[in-house]
Amino acid sequence: MLSTLNKWFERFAETSFTNPERIYRSLFYFGTTIFVLFTLFPFYWLFVLAVTPNELISNMGPFPKGFNPSIFVTVFEQLPIHVYIFNSIVIALMVTFAVITLGSLAGYAFGRYDFKGRQPLMLTILVISYFPPAAFLLPLYRLLTGNLELLGMATPDLYNTPWAVAFPLSALALPFSIFVLTTFYQQIPDGLEDAARVEGTTRLGALYRVIMPLSLPGITTVGVLTFIIVYNEFFFSFLMTDGSAENWSPLVWGIAGIIFEQQYTTPYNLMAAASIIGVIPIAILVLIAQDKIVSGLTAGALKE
Amino acid sequence: MPEHSSPPLWERPIRFVTFRVEQLSDTQFVYLLLSPVFLLLSIIAFWPIVSTFEMSLYADSLTDPSPIGDFVGFANYVDLFTGDLNALMPRPFFSLENPLQSALIVTLVFTVVSVTIETLIGFGQALILNEEFRGRKWFRVILILPWAVPIVIFGMMFFLLFNSTVGFGSEILHGLGLISTTPFNSTQDSLLLLIIADVWKTTPFMVLLILAGLQSVDRDLYKVAKVAGASRWQRFRYVTLPLVKPILAVAVLFRAIQAMRVYGVIEVMAGCNTVPSLSCMVVGSFQSRYYGTASTIAFITAAIIGVMALIYIWKFREEIA
Repeated sequence: MLSTLNKWFERFAETSFTNPERIYRSLFYFGTTIFVLFTLFPFYWLFVLAVTPNELISNMGPFPKGFNPSIFVTVFEQLPIHVYIFNSIVIALMVTFAVITLGSLAGYAFGRYDFKGRQPLMLTILVISYFPPAAFLLPLYRLLTGNLELLGMATPDLYNTPWAVAFPLSALALPFSIFVLTTFYQQIPDGLEDAARVEGTTRLGALYRVIMPLSLPGITTVGVLTFIIVYNEFFFSFLMTDGSAENWSPLVWGIAGIIFEQQYTTPYNLMAAASIIGVIPIAILVLIAQDKIVSGLTAGALKE
Repeated sequence: MPEHSSPPLWERPIRFVTFRVEQLSDTQFVYLLLSPVFLLLSIIAFWPIVSTFEMSLYADSLTDPSPIGDFVGFANYVDLFTGDLNALMPRPFFSLENPLQSALIVTLVFTVVSVTIETLIGFGQALILNEEFRGRKWFRVILILPWAVPIVIFGMMFFLLFNSTVGFGSEILHGLGLISTTPFNSTQDSLLLLIIADVWKTTPFMVLLILAGLQSVDRDLYKVAKVAGASRWQRFRYVTLPLVKPILAVAVLFRAIQAMRVYGVIEVMAGCNTVPSLSCMVVGSFQSRYYGTASTIAFITAAIIGVMALIYIWKFREEIA
């Protein structure tokens, strides 16, 4: 046994001297396989725990200890996970709409005009994106819960409405989107807009008829990324809502709530099943829009 | 003909706006476009930052109905480092006797260790992947998936992997002698698990960024180097590395800033008492209505990130610019 292994190894060493490409090939398969297994295992693990009946969950091996698919129905009876997901989607759509509208105006200005103050203004936006969410928390909490006076009037109490989460998250998502959109607008050739302007189209007309259609791919990219970022966010989604589904609490509370509210037994299978259900909308989006996500992420992260 | 001279009523405001915009100079037009963004940002970003700083100059008010006490200047900052505010907090902010219990050190250790590991593995994997192979499209989906998992579910995944009742993950690492049997009761063990979790979530993202950098390298350069007799290592050392360095520098900075803010995954996975990161401390003291302390920690976190970013940008100014 050992001698065959030894022989095999010798042969491998010999071919690798004569044919180094082969070593790289095996390195490629080895590294990639480990990487894929490492990445996919936690998803598989959620599935294992979800289908194992809860009373059997202890000292688990790598395989399910039973098969109980009805858990995916029980989840909806135990907690309104679909309402939490719905709330998250509504908040994500609100922020996405705000970010696309405001971000494309700014991206257009930064991407197509060279004006005094361009550099400092872009730098300011970059600096904001460096600040941790914790540095915004207290003032925004007091502002959005109606505990501040502005011009002699108390601010409206937005706590437990989607606005309390959507406002802070727009600030968080805007800088990144502005940078991605600036890059996209820069790539539109100057000639097209100039031609439209020479032919007598107004400034806004050129923006609407020439620039908007051409920047549609960029806008969809930013839209998809913003949606995912907001759907996934934890900090403000957690702190700006009280946790009940009817008060617009997002997915964060649907999942974390199971941990905080557990009483005598920990419902591991419920936790796993709820997590799987919560990840499905995002997984679908990733499958559909993977090209957009990759181009947006690399453009955004590398520009900043 | 009257229809031509007077447009329909609903078009009049649009025409008016279009006309007025046409009259503006380029600079005026640009600032008109930028004004909504900066208006929103001043309410939900600039003002909160200033206000947080202002609040950090006031003492906590423990008895008053208003949570903000007397003006104390920079006393909160001094007290945080000398340990005079520790009584208010579940864990000290900074302490050399118990380094792994104090927020500042835990956060810095987490940031340095996880970003280093992620960059090394990410770079290695990106180099391996930098060639054509079948199933590339599917592989890309696998790379994006961990990045796209909501933080709360990400925390839940690793709670379920390493929870001592469930077993499996914690048993394997315990068998290797890395952690105790109940890892979520110990800061040291939880920190290790947190780093493993973070490596899982962000390494694929690093691969994606570095791969984009590698693919922007002109293939002809490799051919030239090969013809000139450069070995694979030399091609890596003198062609790939210098060209990828700027992207690597930006990616590391980007990741380190994110790592310094770590919060949600801790809350779900191990609890903020076990792994007291800086953001955990801000939330903790905010929930106990210690507004002065909370804003001081928040502002110190922001300042550390700022200084880190400045030093880094200064050091790598040629690569980044």
